[in-house]
Amino acid sequence: MDSDTKMTEAPNTRLLDPKIFDHLKNKIDEDQQVRDALSQVIQRLDRAISHVQGLLSRVHATQRSQYPAFLAQVEAGIQDEITVIGELNEMASQHPYYKYNQKWSRSIQNSIFTVLLCGWLGGLSPNSSAESTEPQQGRLVTIEEVGSILKVPVNLKDRDSFHITIEEYLFALVDLTQELSRLAPNAVTLGDPALSIQIASFVGDIFAGFQVLNLKNDALRKRVDGVKYHVQRVEEVVYDLTLRGMVPQGSEDADKPSSS
Amino acid sequence: MSKRDRHGNMRPKEGGKAAPAVPQSRFGPMFSHFRDELDEHHDRRERIIKASRDVTALSKKIIFSCQRVNKLGPLPRRTQEDIDNRMAEIKAHLTSIEPDLASLNRYRYAHSLRCLEELVEALVFAHYLRTQTLLDPDAVEAAVPASIALTEYDYMYGVFDLFGEMMRFATVTAAQTGRLVGGEVVGVGDDGGAAPQDDSSGRRRHILADFHELSVAFELLPEVHDRTFRSKMEAMRTSVRKVEKLGYGIAIRGSERPKGWLPDFKDDHDPGHDE
Repeated sequence: MDSDTKMTEAPNTRLLDPKIFDHLKNKIDEDQQVRDALSQVIQRLDRAISHVQGLLSRVHATQRSQYPAFLAQVEAGIQDEITVIGELNEMASQHPYYKYNQKWSRSIQNSIFTVLLCGWLGGLSPNSSAESTEPQQGRLVTIEEVGSILKVPVNLKDRDSFHITIEEYLFALVDLTQELSRLAPNAVTLGDPALSIQIASFVGDIFAGFQVLNLKNDALRKRVDGVKYHVQRVEEVVYDLTLRGMVPQGSEDADKPSSS
Repeated sequence: MSKRDRHGNMRPKEGGKAAPAVPQSRFGPMFSHFRDELDEHHDRRERIIKASRDVTALSKKIIFSCQRVNKLGPLPRRTQEDIDNRMAEIKAHLTSIEPDLASLNRYRYAHSLRCLEELVEALVFAHYLRTQTLLDPDAVEAAVPASIALTEYDYMYGVFDLFGEMMRFATVTAAQTGRLVGGEVVGVGDDGGAAPQDDSSGRRRHILADFHELSVAFELLPEVHDRTFRSKMEAMRTSVRKVEKLGYGIAIRGSERPKGWLPDFKDDHDPGHDE
């Protein structure tokens, strides 16, 4: 099972060739250096993300009429994320992707979430050049669009390079339904029940989408299990609105009917 | 989806927008695509885990065969045949998952491929018995019967586990022969490095010297922040202590003891042994 070539090369006076452990030591040192360098970039990415998340949290106290200015700020923050992700992309692509991806996976999820929420609220419009008048809410930014916004490839299969995985996108999608389920009651408080109805429709559709997946008993499954509570929360809001006749006329057809 | 909306009105059949074949929601196609991708991933993982389990079992069997050997030097023919047969089976299992580990998937499923550690252990142990030297990473890589790249951790962790096997080997042979394998009965501390080390001269290094050389090499490695590494390091130290104790016992009482006397070690050819 092994060619005893080594035997003839080295005299048998030693158990081991010291080169073996020099090699291992170098590998370990290299590995540690890569991890340290990645940690630094990821730390900066986390800072950029947390700034955007802070900005986004204002949505719960922002009238829809003020969205354009609000979203402009968020988009500027996302630009910072994109810059750092560019650096991460460059650094990480020099190494096997899955060797280190657990180091940044969480950060990338958060970053995707900021893109998804910003897009849902009407930001990051793909045809911004077409001078759209008012931002439209309710858009789902697809994984391909997330990739082109963050300027990184998506779901790579034949090339070992940095990219966004489907799992990361799905995790971020759950974060989105969670955040929207918080926005639904707050929109009512802000006097905008139409937005809540729109959220209900959207979250319901996402929930139906998740049903299509064959999830294993893993972290994603656990996270996706939470979506039904997000649905429940927005349905309660819709119930309250319906009960009191507060559902605005025509708001339901603005989107597709929800599956409540 | 219910047939009526919350006002009790019939829903329009696939109204307004395009999207003809949407089964559940407007995001149906997107999620169907994700489902296919995730299913592919889970199937691949499943195949790898199954093959890995089989390779682990076969590697353990190679190790058991090797443990039945009671001296250093060329392996008995039956042992070598046994190893060759098992390696052929291992080859079949590993080549079957080769495509699943192509490109970026090698590291993606690294966790499900722990069998490689076990295989390294078997290869390194058999080589040690044969030559009393440590097989280097390139030679191990060449001995893996499939084009699956070994990581430095596969190699390192496999070699860590060699200590457990060497300890069992030293213990069993000591029980059978009344002395530590390799070298002479006297002079346990003698590393035998100066002596020409071949079968004709009859002087080999003591196995305890090998323990010391190899464990010092590991102790000198930079610290790896990893639970596996730490626990394997501990297991290594335990094995070294055991063989030191064994050597001491032989040096002190060796002459008083009849051949065939079994020292106080419970680990014999225990198939449940899981190092």
